[in-house]
Amino acid sequence: MKKRNPLFRIILIAVLMIAAVYYLYPTIRFEQLKKVEQTKFATLASLTGLPVEKISRDAYVGEIDLRDSIPGWDGMDESARRQITEDLQDLKGPFRETIQGYRSKAIRRGLDLQGGMRLVLEVDLVKLLDNLAQRKDEKFDNMLEQIRSQMTDPEVEFFDVVKRVFAEANIPLNRYFLTSRSTESEILKYINEEASDAVDRSLEILRNRIDQFGVSEPNITKQGSRRIVIELPGVQDPERARQLIGKTALLEFKLLADPEMYSTLIDRVDRFLRKEKGLETESDSLAETQKADTDTTTKARTDTTQHVSQDTVVNLKDLFGGETQMPETTGVSIDANLLKEAPFKALLRDIGQDIVAVPTANYAAVNNIIHRKEVQELIPKNVEFLWSNTPQPGPGGELYWILYLVKSEPELTGSAVRDAKVDIGSGYNPGSSGMPYVALSLNRDGARVFSEVTGANVGKQLSIVLDNKVRSAPVIKTKIPSGNAEITGNFTMDEAKDLAIVLRAGALPAPVEEIEERTVGPSLGEDSIKSGTISFVVGFFLVVLSMAIYYRLSGLYADIALILNLIYIVATMAGFHATLTLPGIAGIILTVGMAIDSNVLIFERIREELRAGKTVRAAIETGYARAFVTIMDSQITTLIAGVALYQFGTGPIRGFALTLIIGIISSMFTAIVVVRVIQDFIVNKYDPKTLSI
Amino acid sequence: MEFFRKTNINFQGKRRIAITCSSLFILAGLVSLIVRGGPNYSIDFSGGTGITLRFAKPISEGQVRSILNEIKLGDSEVKTIAGGGSHPDILIRVKETAVETGTVTLVENNIRKAIPDNPFEVLQIEKVGPKVGKELKGKAVWAMVVSLIGILIYLAWRFEFKFAVGAVIATAHDLLVMMGLFSIMNLEMSLAIVAAFLTIAGYSINDTVVVYDRIRENIKKLRSATFFDVINISINETLSRTILTGSTTLMVLIVLFFLGGQVIHDFSFALLIGILVGTYSSIFIAAPILLEWEQISGTKRKKM
Repeated sequence: MKKRNPLFRIILIAVLMIAAVYYLYPTIRFEQLKKVEQTKFATLASLTGLPVEKISRDAYVGEIDLRDSIPGWDGMDESARRQITEDLQDLKGPFRETIQGYRSKAIRRGLDLQGGMRLVLEVDLVKLLDNLAQRKDEKFDNMLEQIRSQMTDPEVEFFDVVKRVFAEANIPLNRYFLTSRSTESEILKYINEEASDAVDRSLEILRNRIDQFGVSEPNITKQGSRRIVIELPGVQDPERARQLIGKTALLEFKLLADPEMYSTLIDRVDRFLRKEKGLETESDSLAETQKADTDTTTKARTDTTQHVSQDTVVNLKDLFGGETQMPETTGVSIDANLLKEAPFKALLRDIGQDIVAVPTANYAAVNNIIHRKEVQELIPKNVEFLWSNTPQPGPGGELYWILYLVKSEPELTGSAVRDAKVDIGSGYNPGSSGMPYVALSLNRDGARVFSEVTGANVGKQLSIVLDNKVRSAPVIKTKIPSGNAEITGNFTMDEAKDLAIVLRAGALPAPVEEIEERTVGPSLGEDSIKSGTISFVVGFFLVVLSMAIYYRLSGLYADIALILNLIYIVATMAGFHATLTLPGIAGIILTVGMAIDSNVLIFERIREELRAGKTVRAAIETGYARAFVTIMDSQITTLIAGVALYQFGTGPIRGFALTLIIGIISSMFTAIVVVRVIQDFIVNKYDPKTLSI
Repeated sequence: MEFFRKTNINFQGKRRIAITCSSLFILAGLVSLIVRGGPNYSIDFSGGTGITLRFAKPISEGQVRSILNEIKLGDSEVKTIAGGGSHPDILIRVKETAVETGTVTLVENNIRKAIPDNPFEVLQIEKVGPKVGKELKGKAVWAMVVSLIGILIYLAWRFEFKFAVGAVIATAHDLLVMMGLFSIMNLEMSLAIVAAFLTIAGYSINDTVVVYDRIRENIKKLRSATFFDVINISINETLSRTILTGSTTLMVLIVLFFLGGQVIHDFSFALLIGILVGTYSSIFIAAPILLEWEQISGTKRKKM
C-alpha cells in the first residue's frame, strides 16, 4: 500500500487555522476593549459623581454634553476637569472608533446573554393607503377593512392584496388614487413605491431616534417587506424606549373651531340622542333648535357652579337604553338636571374660557358617542374632535379630559420643524417656571406660513397636536414672524427630551404596530452566561475525558480534533458576524457531544478491521474508507434538519441552528482530515504493530 | 476499553412488542392532546405577555395574584420558577388577545405600589402579538414537513425508497412520542422546544442512517443470511457506536439539564428524552419497518 502524502492536508489544516485566528482576533480584542471601556466608565463615574449607567448611556450620544449635567463642575479643580474632558473626548472619539471597528467584526452577544430589548414593529400600510387616497367614501373604507383582514399572513404581498381586493370589488383604482386618467399599472406602481419607501423611511427615522436616545450598539433591520426589527442591547429603561419608538410623532398645528360652532354641534348631538330615545318628534325639533341656540352659551356658563353639586351617578344603560356599545363602565358622572333635555351636554363640563372638559369618569361614554357613525355624520366636514394628551386638573382640582373641536386641515405639520430642543421655563412665566418644554424652530417656509397663520388669527387658539392628541392649545397673542414655537405641558425632563428627539427625527410616514417584544434584564443575562459557561466547560471536559478513556491514544487524537472543531465553530461564527445566544451555546455543547460521532464511527470500524486481522495501516485505510460513506450519509441528513431549522427559526433559534450546521461540517472535517493526518503521521513514522484504540 | 464486543441480541424478535409499546404511547399522547385541546402553547405561539420578576424578598404566588386581581388581570397565570437568585422568581402570564402597550407598565406599577418594601427587578418581558404566534405555528409545521421531505428525497436517492420511508416514519414516531410526552406532562410548547424537536429529528435520522448503512452493506456481504438476520447482525455490529455516541451526547445533555439554568431547562429536557427515543426508534422502529415492508411486499429476496 502506498504511503499517503499528507502535505496537502497539513497545508489545508494550517490555512484553516490561520483563517480561524484571523477571524477570532477581533472578537478577542473586542472583549478586551470592553473591559477597558468599563474601567473608563467607572473612572469617569467616580470623577463626576454620576452613576455608571448614565455615563455609559450618555457617553455615546454626541449632542448631550456631560459637563452640563455634572453637579459641581465649577467647583472642581482644573486637573479633574481636564481629565474628565479628555476621557470624554476619548470615549466619543478615538476609543469609540477603535472599539466599533472590532465590534463590527466580532461575535455579537445575543440579547438573552447581555440583556436588552427586541422589538418587532409592523408598518401599518393600510393606514398609508388611507393617507394616499385622494378621496374617500364608505366603499373605500370597506375595502380598506378587507385589505386589513387579508394582511394577517406575513408572506402575502401588500401590493397583491390591494390589487385583488379592488379587482374583486370591480372598482378602478383611479377612482381613489392619483388622477382619473392614471392607468391601473401606474397606480399600483405608485402604491408599491410609496409602501416600500414608507418602510425604508420608517427604518431611517427610527434609527435616528435610537441613535439620539443613546444605545451603544443598536441593531435595526428590515424583516420581510413591512416589518422592522429593533434590538437594543443593554437598554436601561425599556418603557422609555418603547415610548420613543412606538410614537408616530405626527406633529400638526391646527386652529380651534369657533366656540359657536362647537356649541351648535353639541346641541345637534343632543338632538340626535334625544330623538333616538324617542323624547322628541320630528316636528318640534325645529323649535328646539332655535331655543337651544339662544340658550346654549349662557346656560352652560351659568350652570357651571351648580353642576358639580348636582352630579349623580347614573348607569349608562339607563341613559341610552343599553343600545350603545360601551365598555363596562360602572357609572358615569351625570348632571341630573341636564340629563333629560341634553344627554350629551350632561356629560360635559364648562371649566371656563370655552374649554369643554370631560370628567375622567365620563371619558369612555363621551368617546363612544363622538365615534358613533351617526354622530360622525353630524360633524361638519372641515372639523374634528380631538382629545387632550392627558387629563388636566380643573378649577376644583378634579381631573378632566379636554375635548377639542379643531379644524381638520392642519396649518402646519412637523415637516416644517428644523430643530427641536429642550428648554426650561423661565422665571417670569409663572405657570411654566422651571418646567421643561420643547422649543421648536421652523424652517424658512414653515416660519413664513406660521407667521401668516398667527398674524391672521390673533386672539384665536392654535392647538399643537401630536399623534392626534392635543398637547396644548395656546391663544395666539400676536403675529410670530420668528418661526419659533413652543410645546408646553407637564413634561418631565426625560419626556421633554424624548419628544424633542422624535420631532427632530421626524414623523413616521405611517403608524407602526408593535407585534412582538422580548426584553431580558441584565441579571437574567448574567445568570445565563454563568450557567452557559459552567455547563459548557463541564460538558466539554466530560466528552474529552470519556474519549481518552474509551479509545486511549486515539481518543486523545479525537480530543485534539474536538478542540480544533471548537475553534473552527467559534471562528466561523465570528466570520459570519453571528450572534451568540444561550441556545447557541447549547448548540455548541450539543455539537461537541455529537461531533465525536464521526470519530466513533471511524474508530469502531478500525477496531473491526483490526479484529479481522488486518495490519494497523490497512485497518486505518479501510476503516476510514468504509466509515466515510456512513458519515456522509448520516451527517447530510442531520444537515437537512439543521437547514430547515435555520429557515424556520428567528432570533435565538437561528443562532442555535447556525452553530449546529457549522458544527456538523466542522466535525466532519476534523474527524476525517485532522485525525487522519495525525494517525497517518504516527503510522508512517513508527510503523507500530498495534494501535492504541 | 470496549463495552460491547460481538453482541448477539435478537432485537428484531422483540419488534412486535416494541411497536405495540410505541403505538400505545403515541395513542396515549394523542388522547392527551385531544383532551387538552392541542399542545400547551407558550406565549411564543399563543400570544400574550409574560413578565418574570425577581423580588428582593421571597413572595408568594397568592400575594402577586391578589395584586393582579385589583387591576382586573386576575385570570393571569402566576407561578414561581427556580432562577439564579436565592429564592424563586415570579412569572406572570397575562392572557390577552392583542398586545396592549400599557400592560407591562400597569403590572409593574401596581406591584410596586402594593408592596413598596419588596422591590423587584424585571428579569424578562415576552410580549407576542397573536399574529406573530399564528405565523410561528405555521412556520414550525412547515419546517418539520420540509425537513422530513428533504430527508426522504436524500435517503431515497442514497438507499432505496423503503429505507427512506422507514427513516421518515421512525422520525415521525419520535416527534409524535415527544409531542405526546410534552402534552401528558403538560409542558409548554415554545419556540425553543420546537427547535429541540427538530434537533431530535436530525439526531434520530442520523442514528437510523448509521444502522441502515450497515444493513445496506451487509445485504451485499452476507448473501446467505435471511433479511431478518442481516438486520439483527447490523444492529449488533453498530451497537457499540450507537451506545457510545448516544451516551456522550446524553452526558452533555445531563450537564445542560442540571447546570444550564432555568431558561433552557425544558429545552435540554426535550433533547435528553429525544436522544433516548431517537436511539430506540432506530433499532426498534426504523429497522423493523424494512422487515415488515419486505414481508408485506412478499418479494422473495430473503436470500440476496
